[in-house]
Amino acid sequence: MGRHRRALGGRGLRELAAVVPGRAVWRLAGWSAVEALPALCSGLLVAAAADRGFLAGRPGAGFAWLGALGAVTALRALAARAVFPHLAEVVEPLRDALVARVVHGALSRPVPDGPAEIARLTEQVESARQLTATLLRSARGVGFGLLAALLGLGLLAPPVLPLVLVPLLLSGALFVRLLGPLVVRRRAVVLADERIAAEAGRAFAGLRDVAACGAQQRVSAHLSALVEAQGEALRAVGRAAAARSLTVAVGGRLPLLAVVCAAPWMVGRGWLTAGQVLGVATYLLQQLEPAVRALAGMLGSWLLDLAVVLDRLTTACPAPASPTPPVPSVPSVPSDDSSLSVEGLRYAHPGSAEPVLDGVRFELRPGAHLAVVGPSGTGKSTLAALLAGVLVPDAGRVLLGGRDAAALPTPERAARLALVPQEAYVFAGTVRENLCWPSGDRSDAELATAAHRVGSARLLARLGGPDGRIAAPAALSAGERQLLALTRTFLSPAPIVVLDEATCHLDAEAERRAEEAFAARPGTLVVIAHRISSATRADRILLLDAPGPLLATHADLQVLSSFYRACSGHLPPADGERQTTPPEARETTTSPSPGRAPSGTRGTAEPSRERAPSGARGTAGPSC
Amino acid sequence: MRGSSVALTVSVPLEAAATLALPGVAGVVLDAVLAGRPVGWAVGGLAALLAVGAAASALAAVAGPACTAADTVALRGALVRRVLWLRPFPSAVERLCGERPGPGDLTARLVGAAADAGAARAARLAAATALVTSAGAVLGLGVLSPWLAVAFFAGVLPGVVLVRLFMRTAEDVFVRYQEAQGRLADRLADALAGVRTVRAAGAQRQEAARVLGVLPELGDAGRALWRAQRRTVGQVTLLVAAVELTVLGTAGQLVAAGRLPAGAFAAAAGWAALGLGFFEQVEALVGVAHARAGLARVREVAGLPGPGAGGRELPDGPGELVFRSVLVRDDEGAVVFGPLELTVPGGATVAVVGRSGAGKSLLAALAGGLRLPDGGEVLVDGVPVAALSVAERRRAVGYAFERPLLIGPALDEALEGADPAALAAARADGFLARLPHGGRTPVGELQLSGGELQRLGLARLLAGNARVVVLDDATSSLDAATEHQVDRALHESTRGRTRLVVTHRAAVAARAGLVVWLDGGRVRAIDTHGALLADPAYRAVLSGAAADADERRDGRSRGPGERRARVR
Repeated sequence: MGRHRRALGGRGLRELAAVVPGRAVWRLAGWSAVEALPALCSGLLVAAAADRGFLAGRPGAGFAWLGALGAVTALRALAARAVFPHLAEVVEPLRDALVARVVHGALSRPVPDGPAEIARLTEQVESARQLTATLLRSARGVGFGLLAALLGLGLLAPPVLPLVLVPLLLSGALFVRLLGPLVVRRRAVVLADERIAAEAGRAFAGLRDVAACGAQQRVSAHLSALVEAQGEALRAVGRAAAARSLTVAVGGRLPLLAVVCAAPWMVGRGWLTAGQVLGVATYLLQQLEPAVRALAGMLGSWLLDLAVVLDRLTTACPAPASPTPPVPSVPSVPSDDSSLSVEGLRYAHPGSAEPVLDGVRFELRPGAHLAVVGPSGTGKSTLAALLAGVLVPDAGRVLLGGRDAAALPTPERAARLALVPQEAYVFAGTVRENLCWPSGDRSDAELATAAHRVGSARLLARLGGPDGRIAAPAALSAGERQLLALTRTFLSPAPIVVLDEATCHLDAEAERRAEEAFAARPGTLVVIAHRISSATRADRILLLDAPGPLLATHADLQVLSSFYRACSGHLPPADGERQTTPPEARETTTSPSPGRAPSGTRGTAEPSRERAPSGARGTAGPSC
Repeated sequence: MRGSSVALTVSVPLEAAATLALPGVAGVVLDAVLAGRPVGWAVGGLAALLAVGAAASALAAVAGPACTAADTVALRGALVRRVLWLRPFPSAVERLCGERPGPGDLTARLVGAAADAGAARAARLAAATALVTSAGAVLGLGVLSPWLAVAFFAGVLPGVVLVRLFMRTAEDVFVRYQEAQGRLADRLADALAGVRTVRAAGAQRQEAARVLGVLPELGDAGRALWRAQRRTVGQVTLLVAAVELTVLGTAGQLVAAGRLPAGAFAAAAGWAALGLGFFEQVEALVGVAHARAGLARVREVAGLPGPGAGGRELPDGPGELVFRSVLVRDDEGAVVFGPLELTVPGGATVAVVGRSGAGKSLLAALAGGLRLPDGGEVLVDGVPVAALSVAERRRAVGYAFERPLLIGPALDEALEGADPAALAAARADGFLARLPHGGRTPVGELQLSGGELQRLGLARLLAGNARVVVLDDATSSLDAATEHQVDRALHESTRGRTRLVVTHRAAVAARAGLVVWLDGGRVRAIDTHGALLADPAYRAVLSGAAADADERRDGRSRGPGERRARVR
């Protein structure tokens, strides 16, 4: 039972219910009661119309009583209108809460799965909203109507009440008992569908590989088994629903049979008049039976779906752990100490057998300029992420201005070091908002100077100056977005800057200009090199390649590393060659691009181990 | 399947009939009660009716999903088989039959459209039953007295007009709501694209607030939607009440005039309610519309061209690969590749080189029938590749790709039965052994580097034991040392087989017996590496060729400036 209660998403429902304003709920209940007035009065007034009017041979009186019913019904129509604003005040805040939860969840996930997050935001949240709305609109009215009808029945003919209530309560208990297993089975169907989507999605994206391996039969058999399993789960839902349909018979129709059986006896003893019998029949036929049927149908499908959706949303996006104090919008005063050192850094991707980085150590004095080079997949971007604190190392530590980065609060860490990744962040808003992000304000003169030095002045002018609007970031080219991100970081107060292939979409000349601007900027600069020319501009170079990391100068590396020699001397780097993959093959892989690494010898004291490969996302850029 | 279909067809109308009969039977019973007649038979009839109704409804509840499940499984099974046997790259002729949906779209059709279509029978039955129930209720009223039916219709017709009006206004508001939703999704997508920057700056909350800035707009649109509903619902409620009251008043009048028995009053009330249930059945109609749309989308996939007959067997032979006047056209019919005449003798190694976009991967795809040529044919040991059955094609040509995609629930299946020797030859045994769950690791959970993936792709190739092996840039992500090892092991384990190697590396081209140099879809030259090396344009498409040429030019040294110029 406990399992089922959890399956109903009780926790999720409770958490969400907390965001709904209580006043809206009370008003909703009030108007719902008014809306239920006809249900309350119908039998009473019909009985009166029959007893004192139509059956007594006085149709005029009968019409008068029906007129009263008409008045009550008009009131109901009024209430039905009045209810809507309060419905909106219950449903819209609920949606807002769900949206906020999904957005916070997506942004705090280490590796957000873009399409899944968007689907959650648009599809799952919307289906939760619509289900809640439908339930509130329909089931609420029906439920109130049912209660009102019972009340009216009690007022009209108290003796028949037990005959109605006992089966009804019985069926209610049965229904609740069945709801848990139904939710479990319904969710099994949803999960089976998702499994099919995941596995078939991979197979359909890899039709080339399926055909190349002649694996059609095997893959088809596997997918067919999944499809069968989903069918079986669906049948199981049907079997559980059959028991549910009995609740309608017990709660909605058994009372009628009981009343009809008892009626001759009750009329004979003078407990009921003929009009009362008609009134009771009106309640049972017109109110109770349709209400029970509708409730069982609505709760049995929409409530199930709502429970499943909420359960999945709340599982995927758990509520924020604790109300952390809001991050101050102005970070604390940056430390002027721009020294950066790294001690025995090791990192392995979750689920990967080998560490992608191991034994990385270096020490940069304030003002130093380091370039990191190496074949693709050797962990260059991982190193950048570790420096920026986006990833947490498995061993070793990063010292920013002499302080352990892991021990620094996030705002302070961000105030000491700024990372510009390959995929530049530009959002819809003004140029100024983008350049002054994430905090602080700069004068137009400051913006102009920075833009001039980084090389984005023409772009800024084209966008309409600092107050020009960027409506759709995707409309800018990748290089333009990079220029904006670079200008922003140039303006940032952080004394340490890490450029992680942040210039890869710029041409060589624009890259030179941007990098030289950063080199001239006070503070320490680390450049994850996209082109070898970046390395020639640095004081020192960290080479990440088999058999281990190597820190040296350009001249030394020319002697020490065949890879470096090949890159800087003989070979065009891998850039142009990436284009060879047919687009259909490229779309679907998340693995890094190939890097070229001619073999050779090396002289280094670093521990010798096989080159650790990387599965890091975001390292897709070509590299040298 | 048959049984559930019959059960559904019987139970749903039966349930509707029981529901429909209830007011009438109840009216008769009440008449008997009020007239003081013995009620035994009447009550027995009512009890029987209720029992039949309950049984039918339970049966319908089981049969509906069973029917849907059976139909969905059949549709999905057919769709899976159709898609998996498609040629991975459609030829120009195949594209004429209609644009092929992308993998995401195909998956959506499998999961969404096929499920909608599978529910078609249940949806149609439900809609028909709902309509019949409403019609039956009105008929019941008409049987009691034609005036009751007239009273009913007098109220219902304006209701239909109101609902249509609502659909029209609601559509505009709904579009507004969806636009706001789209902006919300865009902002989240922007923030997720820059999530590394955001996280590095510790600005998750700030960015969440920015994304959520659209919420008021969304809320406004949502409330407008509620307002539109509010008007209509108010009007429809009034109308429903008016219908009920008119019917009741008419019935009362008839009872008072002695033209109807008293029980008919209750029956009229019940049937009026059932007849009005029509307004709640819009959903059933929507279900039918969904099912029809789903079926159309599934049928589109079924209409894609199949793999063709392809029942021929591979004769014994050395693995000779022949391209005979092979050409490829684009959608306009212009030749974009070929014509290619090439014979690779059994056991020979041919390298394919060229710039990006020169058609190297296309040539590789043509070799094994992954794409059919638009002219000419590709033969393995004298048999057209297109005519081979799947199993025979697999014996004929094997592939390893630059970015292999692993297909299967777990690694073991995805590797197509690669044995330890194959894994060792591909240098994949080491990191595979270190995976926590080894071969049982689900493919979806693997986090592999490009190099690791390529090594698994090579192991998969070796498992196939094909006569012709096609290596499409299949070792490009390996680091130098591993590549050297893998290269040697591959050379060993594919000795004696015909090899077609797409490459960028001078060393690989040098080892091949013949080099096919492609340029813009045409063969620029077919010759040995040594002969081609004199051409600077040839050297430019290969990495390592410059160094190679340097050596051949007897150490004529180049200045650093010249070197720098080659670096991009």
